[in-house]
Amino acid sequence: MTQLVVRRLIPIDRERVFDAWLDPARLARFMCPTTAKRATADVDPRVGGRFRIVMFHPEVDANGVVHTGEYLLIDRPSRLAFTWESQFTEGITTVVTIDFIERGTSTEVVLTHDRLPPQALEAHRRGWTDILGLLGESAG
Amino acid sequence: MPRQTLDTVYAALADPTRRAIIGLLVHGDTTVGALADKFPISFNGVSKHVKVLERAGLVARRVTGREHWLTLEPAPLAKASRWLEHYRAFWETRLAALERILVDEDKPRPSRKRPRK
Repeated sequence: MTQLVVRRLIPIDRERVFDAWLDPARLARFMCPTTAKRATADVDPRVGGRFRIVMFHPEVDANGVVHTGEYLLIDRPSRLAFTWESQFTEGITTVVTIDFIERGTSTEVVLTHDRLPPQALEAHRRGWTDILGLLGESAG
Repeated sequence: MPRQTLDTVYAALADPTRRAIIGLLVHGDTTVGALADKFPISFNGVSKHVKVLERAGLVARRVTGREHWLTLEPAPLAKASRWLEHYRAFWETRLAALERILVDEDKPRPSRKRPRK
């Protein structure tokens, strides 16, 4: 409920996959949802630096949907972490951590999105599965 | 749900005793007194945890005579979990797009050639 993990095996070496996340031109392209007309990205790729991605959905909001965050960890080419804030996170700061794992000539990208501020993450990490299982029982 | 409420939900669920209380309420309503008997902490301790769950909107209380009955209110949890579904779909399509643009860069395209680094 507070954490989700998405994985994908990409047939590209780790350095290129990693670098795409900090390259504004590539970032703007792959962060542009299919429902959006276009996206822009500005990045300050250093720990403590910020990024800003604006997705333009003409039918939703002409001014664009703004996603911003701050880089928490830049460990090329194995790990990248940043905060993620947008209207979809309802004003709450969330944290995205991406692990880039070498799989031969490919890269397994493991993206973890936590809905809690970083200082609270470790304390909150355990114990959710049991609750969700019980609620599933209750609903079913 | 306003931000404060969602924050309160997460804070409420961060504690193992409060998660255990939710776990018991899943099986049906109970009284504060019955809950207190199940935990190795004082009645006041249990009562404080229940108040946190109430403030988060996870538990509702009704008073019948001297008994305080507690009912689980799963709506805040359901709302919170919708966030996950939104972002699961979002990141899955973004990673697919990332793969597509990187793989495309490797393909020679004489008509739309891009400068390479």
